[in-house]
Amino acid sequence: MKRREWLQGLVAVGGVAALVRKAAGQNPAFIGPPAGTRGTLISAIMAGPFDASGTLNGVRQLSAVPQFASFVRIQVNPGNAGKIAIGTSAMDTRANDKSDFAFVELWPNYDGSFNGGQSDVWTLSDPKGLDTIDISRIWVWPEFAGEMPIVTAFQMV
Amino acid sequence: MVILTPSAEAGAHPVSGLPVPLATASKLVNRVTVKPRLGQWSKVLVGGSNLLPDESGAFAVLYPVPYGGISDTFSLQDDGGQNTIDLSQIYIYATVFGDSPMVEAFEYQTI
Repeated sequence: MKRREWLQGLVAVGGVAALVRKAAGQNPAFIGPPAGTRGTLISAIMAGPFDASGTLNGVRQLSAVPQFASFVRIQVNPGNAGKIAIGTSAMDTRANDKSDFAFVELWPNYDGSFNGGQSDVWTLSDPKGLDTIDISRIWVWPEFAGEMPIVTAFQMV
Repeated sequence: MVILTPSAEAGAHPVSGLPVPLATASKLVNRVTVKPRLGQWSKVLVGGSNLLPDESGAFAVLYPVPYGGISDTFSLQDDGGQNTIDLSQIYIYATVFGDSPMVEAFEYQTI
């Protein structure tokens, strides 16, 4: 790729990112494109370790406000010793084992002794690549407080 | 607008003795996944209304994860982006009485 084309691509990506930031700033209750749309560029709206330790019952939704993604991935962080439960707001309960109210459990990956060290992973994607997944409706509970799964969400902008 | 959201039927489904449907009445969803619960000893059978404990009629036979590891999984999704999978037509069976396979179900809803 020629340098000029590369620079043009870089500017285009930056412009889209700026638009998303602007939308978020204008309306803090809604971030990104509306549900059911499909853009032309995959953009990460969540990445990195996800901390639920500061919330009531240790259960936290992926976003406090509606955000619509086309792909969500939750991975047990290698080295963590507790399982990860994924569910709905029904998990936000005082029960000891909140995974009783989950729809998915991910096995911990504390020493690499299971499955060749591969982390347990849950993914969800819209089959048509549309931004239809409201990540504020997905809740996560790490069994051990302070442990942080890797959460990634992509949006088509 | 349309969103892909967890169904009310998602969660742990206790099975006591005989195969049970994932929903008692017709319920259309876009995606369904069945996994044995971590730490439980049941093989989990997934099938249609003709599913029997001897594995006849099984779509899938899922191995348990009593000592940990990544769960065996049966997953089905309509790639056309429609709610076409009827949960009342999908049955599950756990070989240990009272075990509760994990069921994940997502459906399109208009909000």
